[in-house]
Order: sequence, then structure tokens, then C-alpha cells
Amino acid sequence: MKIIGLVSKVALLCCSVLAITIQAAEFKLPAYEKVTLDNGLTLYLLPQHEVPLVTVHAVVKAGAIYDNKAGLSYLTAQGLKLGAGGKTKTDIEQTIDFLGASLNTGSSLEGSMVQANFMAKDSAAVLPLVKALLTQPAFDQAEFNKMQQREIAALTQAKESPRQVIDQYFHRLVFGKHPYGFAQNGEPESVKQISRNDLTAFHQKYYQPANTAIVVAGDFETVAMKKQLQQLLGDWKNTQKLPVLNLTAALTVPAESQVLVVDKNDAIETTFLIGGPGVTQSNPDYVGISVINTVLGGRFTSWLNDELRVNSGLTYGARSGFDRYSAAGLFAISSFTKTDSTKAALDLALKTYQKLWSQGLDQATLDSAKAYVKGQFPPRFETNAALAELLADMYLYGFTEDYINSFQSKVENLTLADSKRLINSYFPKDKLQLVLIGKAEAIAPLAASYGKVTQLDIKAPGFGK
Amino acid sequence: MKYSLMALMLGMAVASQPAAATDGSQIQSFTLKNGMKILVLEDDSIPNANSYLFWKVGSRNERPGITGISHFFEHMMFNGAKKYGPKMFDRTMENSGGANNAYTSEDLTVYTNWFPTAAMETIFDLEADRIANLDINAKMVESERGVVASERTTGLENSNFRALHEQLKGIAFQAHPYRWSVIGYESDIKGWSLDDLKQYHKTYYAPNNAVMVVSGAVKFADVKRLAEQYFEPIPAQPAAEQLRTVEPAQTGERRTYVQKASVSTPNVMLGHHVPATSHADYYALDLMVSILSEGNSSRLYKNLVDQQIALEVFGYLPMSFDPNLFYLMAVASPDVTATKLEQALVAEINKLAKDGVTTQELEKAKNFRLMQFYQAMETINGKSDTIGTYEVYFGNFQRLFDAPKHYQKVTTADVQRVAQTYLKKSNRSVAVLDAKEDKDL
Repeated sequence: MKIIGLVSKVALLCCSVLAITIQAAEFKLPAYEKVTLDNGLTLYLLPQHEVPLVTVHAVVKAGAIYDNKAGLSYLTAQGLKLGAGGKTKTDIEQTIDFLGASLNTGSSLEGSMVQANFMAKDSAAVLPLVKALLTQPAFDQAEFNKMQQREIAALTQAKESPRQVIDQYFHRLVFGKHPYGFAQNGEPESVKQISRNDLTAFHQKYYQPANTAIVVAGDFETVAMKKQLQQLLGDWKNTQKLPVLNLTAALTVPAESQVLVVDKNDAIETTFLIGGPGVTQSNPDYVGISVINTVLGGRFTSWLNDELRVNSGLTYGARSGFDRYSAAGLFAISSFTKTDSTKAALDLALKTYQKLWSQGLDQATLDSAKAYVKGQFPPRFETNAALAELLADMYLYGFTEDYINSFQSKVENLTLADSKRLINSYFPKDKLQLVLIGKAEAIAPLAASYGKVTQLDIKAPGFGK
Repeated sequence: MKYSLMALMLGMAVASQPAAATDGSQIQSFTLKNGMKILVLEDDSIPNANSYLFWKVGSRNERPGITGISHFFEHMMFNGAKKYGPKMFDRTMENSGGANNAYTSEDLTVYTNWFPTAAMETIFDLEADRIANLDINAKMVESERGVVASERTTGLENSNFRALHEQLKGIAFQAHPYRWSVIGYESDIKGWSLDDLKQYHKTYYAPNNAVMVVSGAVKFADVKRLAEQYFEPIPAQPAAEQLRTVEPAQTGERRTYVQKASVSTPNVMLGHHVPATSHADYYALDLMVSILSEGNSSRLYKNLVDQQIALEVFGYLPMSFDPNLFYLMAVASPDVTATKLEQALVAEINKLAKDGVTTQELEKAKNFRLMQFYQAMETINGKSDTIGTYEVYFGNFQRLFDAPKHYQKVTTADVQRVAQTYLKKSNRSVAVLDAKEDKDL
């Protein structure tokens, strides 16, 4: 979103990861029904009647980790919109727009999705389009060619903004050639190599009912909606055996501190990440970990924001957080500062981070963080779209609502002794990995004091070796 | 970005059942003796509430030398008052489970608090302290200058929109304060004094210059009691001087150019002067921006993106106290020049002015607004924001419930007329962003 007004505080809680884990006293996941059809398709139905709107969120276990050419899962997801079920791209867009609705597709490392938001009265018009995109995409050749050109240009364009690409450099630095290090949207060279046939093959291999869940949240009657979906999707067939990927085999942990300096020669500030390996989606300690992260870098008064922004005026915002996947994860501190204060900001971030071990939490700080995560939880599941995404994530990553519903007690039971154990177990203390995007002639000379340095031009293809 | 989410409306809804809380009778209001108006919407859908405090002060109230001070002030409001000293506003709020943010625009400074209902009294206490007794601490001012300088820099580093927008405003407005960006000039951020800040607070942070909206799991009687206890003792101030400057009519196209080496393809932004939000043409303009740029069936998407002239297109009509700009922006496809991209944008505008729009396009735009209205009404944040925005831009939140009628009345002829009236060359400013130097061929 382009904001004309200016916001005084950087959004400190970025990831959906955090959103799932923060819980308040009164919050329980609203009642929903889960059904598995004969073809293995999983349906979740969660009625909500506050506004006459419905969200459909279909999720397929097919993300960038399955790519044999970087960007294939992403292009496949984007390609679903290029015409489907006998309708052209233009037909679909006109139908959806005329209803004031939206129909989007997307992909992440581990999943792909089709999401529609529409008025309840329009279910009969929109649901068949969702089905068509999922099961009968045309991958029209002429439209594919245009999309391919746009995506190649978009990859180049993304590098105009360090903030848009720094996560990708960091994944590559920490995970290397493991699938979690794959470029999610591809690289210009790899996207050039992808053909329409690659999309068709990827779609056939992964977009199968037994590999898919469809979540419907909003203003509908469960019995009628279930019947409608069964009629629409009951005849969708599995055609191939689903591939199994071993994600743990090739995982490595960094053997030494490394610094990736990405040169952007007209940069007026340095954008940076500091971190290392994190935790998996199913880690049983994650609730406690997220409370500790709240203290370190998950809210405005967190240690990092207090030191780098409030006390020193070095930056507009500093935060920390975890990205979690099914077999691994990342932890990172992130901030930015004007070029000539790069060293001051890095040193202060590292010094503040070490307080986790040198000082630890005290009872008042722990209590405050607990109150905060509980109080900020309910608004995160206020919309149909947010509830649908939560259920989709439960399917994709294999956690249950118990994880949500027991959060409260886990937060309340967290002790100072627990916090010490969690800090020692899960926050990477050394062999830290850094990405600095900025003006290399100014920042490369100081990089060596933080680890083994590699330098790249931001315009070089890809995101590192 | 604020499209007029608001407005849209029960009347236009084809839906079989009315949405909860889209009925004006559920909004209760009162005005304190010091002139502060407070609107309350009881909504128990989650055990939380929020408060949105709209202050009628923004960059339009500034002058050269103190540009950006409204926004800077927004930061200073978090930096300590009498009862709650430096850092204590945020610490106290977060300790009781609350969170906050704020934003500044050309017209407004808005403070938002999100909290479990049990923390409501703490929120009133914190707000009253900083409204009545802000302590502008010299040391905090200095460190905050660094924060705002970083905010300005990170915007320019990461957003081409930001870089173009501030330059375009600078040429489109020659007299009116909309000519400078909300964040202000770098020299002014470094330069304003403690006295400037103190005077600004006294003038604009007067209770008679504010509207508060509270939505969520609250009782009207509790909000009223707390408002009377905490806010009513704060004295009113004389009304701030009205802005006198009216932007003279533009009589010919104006152009500017921004060079940024890392830009991969040219960006073009157009601005056309349009009337204030309170003008009768607002609704037609708001539907026109949708027809041009909203969704993949929009004219700019179909004729620029689908035709591989642009990678992205964007349209924006800000809500505004004074006459402002109607923005269109596009990012060129590879090998498309800025000139070609600009010509394609202008061709679309001229086509709309010459041939008008179809009833289907108009109906579609109205449906987009209806959908947006429902989405706003889905959350207590959307409710507070919508109600408050309507109150400040139209003078009364009840106008929210007239909006259906106003949108409904817009005809294809109205859209064509506003295109002909406002989207013409003599009323246009053009900003180009490109990697290479601007020089003679």
C-alpha cells in the first residue's frame, strides 16, 4: 500500500508467524467444520455473520521448495489467472471486478494458494471460478509469454528497494543451496528458462485434491455451502502419486560468521539483517519463544527499538522475529540507518542482542510482555480472511487448534527459568549471519569485523552463491 | 491510502441482510464542554476496543521553515508529559496489553490505540496527560530528529512513489501548503526550535480541534464518564487561524524530472487539480479513479499493462480539506520510454473525456465501493477509521449514511463531465523518474 500520510512507528509485528502465536484470555478459535471428501480434498467451513462477505482460501502443498527451475511454483500460481475452465483471463477479470470481488493467487516456500473475497450473494458466481483456477488452468501461451516478460522485469525492479529483497539474500546466505534458500519468485535467468509446459507439469504433479485444502470463512450456512463444494469439487481426481521431499537431509548450520555486502551504489542508507537458524513451525516451545522475542524486538518498547530508535535516533525502527517452516526456520534482527552510522547501528544491535545472555529478563519485563501478547491477540483473527489463512496454515504445517486454544495457558505459565532455557536453546548466540545492503565503498571496509565477507552487486543475477 | 471506504451503503446493497453496524443509529455521540466531540460504537465481536483521535492539523497548517513539524509533533506526542515521563506512554500502554500508532497527512494527525477493554481507563489517562501537559524535552527532540531523518531517508530509498510524489506536489502547487511533503524539507527537520514546537502544541492540540472515536467491547456510559473525567478539564483554545491561501488556477502543463540511478525502468506520475472532498464532484471523481485503475479489468491495466507498455499502474484520489490532486502513476515495461508511457496515460484520459464510460464500468466501480465498505465494517478498526474520517471530512458522521444516495446518483455523463473538466492538459503536472540524467538530446 502506498501511504500518503506518514506513520510514526514501523509495524513491528510483521510476520504471520507471530500473528498465529499471540493469544488473549478470551480468544478461542470459532467453531468450524472439517470434512475430507472421498478424493482426499479437505474442506474447512467456518461461518461468521458480521458482514455479508465470504473468503475462500485454497491451499496446495506446492511451494518454491519443489522447484526444479527457480520461480516455477510462483509462475504456476500466477499462471492460474491466465484463463481457466473455458474462460479467458479477461472474462475472469471482468466477472470478478464487476462483483466488486477479488481473486488472487500466490505462493510461498511450502505452499501455493488461491484466495477470493466476495459478497455472500455472489457465491454461485465466484466458487466455480475458484474451482476453474485450481483444477482447469489453461496456461494460455500468449498470456504466458506476456506474464513471463512482466515477471522478469519485476524481479529486476524489486532490487530497486532493498527492503523488498533483503529477506531473499538472507535465506540464501543461511540455507545455501537447500530448498529453503531457493529464490521464491525466481531469478531473471531461471524465469527465462521456464516454459508453459513446465507450468502444466508442475500443476499436474502438485495441484491434486489429496494435496489441497479449501477453507471457506464468512457469511454462509454450513450445510448448503458444504453441499455446494461437494458438488463442485467431488469429481476432481488424483492423477499421480504425490512426491515426497526430504527437507531435513541437506540442512546445515553455519560454521562461521559471514557477512554478505550487497552493493547498491546510489544507496542513501544501509538496510541490514543479523541472525541465523531459528525454529520449526511445530516447535513446542514457540509460544514462550515469541514472548521472549516480544521483549527483544517484537514491540515498540522492545530492547532493540528502544536502543536503536528511542535512545540513539539511529533509525526509524528496529525489530526481530522468526520465520518458521516445517523443517527449519530463521531468526533475524532487522533495521536500517543512514550510511555513515552503519557501524554504530550494527554494534548497538549486536550489543543489545547479547543482553539476552548477559542480563536476561526480569519478572516485570516478562509480565509486561505476557500482557502485551495476550492483549494484542484478538484483533488478529477478526476478519474472514485472517481466520481462513489460519486454518489454511494449520493444514499446510500440520498444527491443530489446540495450539491456538492452549496459547493462553502457555503464556501465563512461562517463568523466568523457562526464559533462560529458551534463550539458550533457540536464539543463535554466535556464528551470526549478516546481510548489509548499501553503498559498498562506505560499508565494505567495516564488514570484516563481523565475519567472513562476500560482496555482490545488487544488479548481479540472483541472491548469492 | 484512503479511498472513500466509507460511504457505501446499505441503500446500494443487494445483500439480503444488512451488515451489522452499518446503521447510523448504532453510533452514539456527545460533545464535551471544551468542544471535543466523541463518537462511540459498541461492538462486542472481540474483547478489545480502540480509540482513534483525529486532530485537525497536518502539513497544510505549516509554513516554510517549519515544514514537517506536524509529523514531527506526532512523534513528540510519545516522548513524555507530566504524569508519564519519557518512554512511559508506551511502556504503560504495552504493560496493560495495549498498542498504538499514529499517522500524519496533509490535513490530519491521527492517534490510534488498540487495547483490551479492561485497559480503557489507562488509555484515557495517558491521552489526557499528553494533550494537557506535554513536556517537550530538548534531548528527546534531538534524538527524534534522527528518527524522522531516517524515516524520510528510508522512504526515498525504498519507494519510487515517495520520491516522485513529493516532487510532483512541489510543481502542481505554487502557493498552497500542499506543495511540500508531509515529512517536510530536510533543512526544516534539522532546524525547528523548541518554541516552534510549544506554540504548535498549544494552537492545534486543543480539545476543540479534535474528534475521538471509540469502537469495541465498551459501554457508551463508561466512555462518557471517562471522557468527562479525563478530557473535560482540559481547556479549549482560541480557534487556530484559518488557512487563507487559495491555489491560483493552473493555466498550462508543468513538468519535473527526478533522477535515481538504480531505477530499472522509467516511472511517470500525473497530477490534475481537483476540488476538495466536500465538493459535489467528489463522488464522480472517486468512481472515475476506480474505472481507470482498480482491478485488472480497469482501463489502465487493460490498455497499458496487458499491452506491455506498463508493469504497474496506480490511481489515487486523496480525501482532502482543500482542493488537491487526482493522481495517476505507471511504471514502464522494459524498453518503453518515459515519453511513450506518458503518452499512453494521456491517451486513456483523453479517451475517457471524449467517449465517456459505460454503464457497466460505472456499476462495477460502485460495487467496488460497496465491497470496500463491508470490508471496513468487518473490524473495529475499520469502523473507527471510517466514522472518524467521515466526521472530519464531511462535518458529520451521519453523512456516511447519505453517501449511498450520492454514489447512486452518479451517472456516466457525470464521470465524462469531471474528466473533461479536470483531466485536461492545462491543469496537469507531470513527474518523470528515470535512471539517466535529464539532458538535451
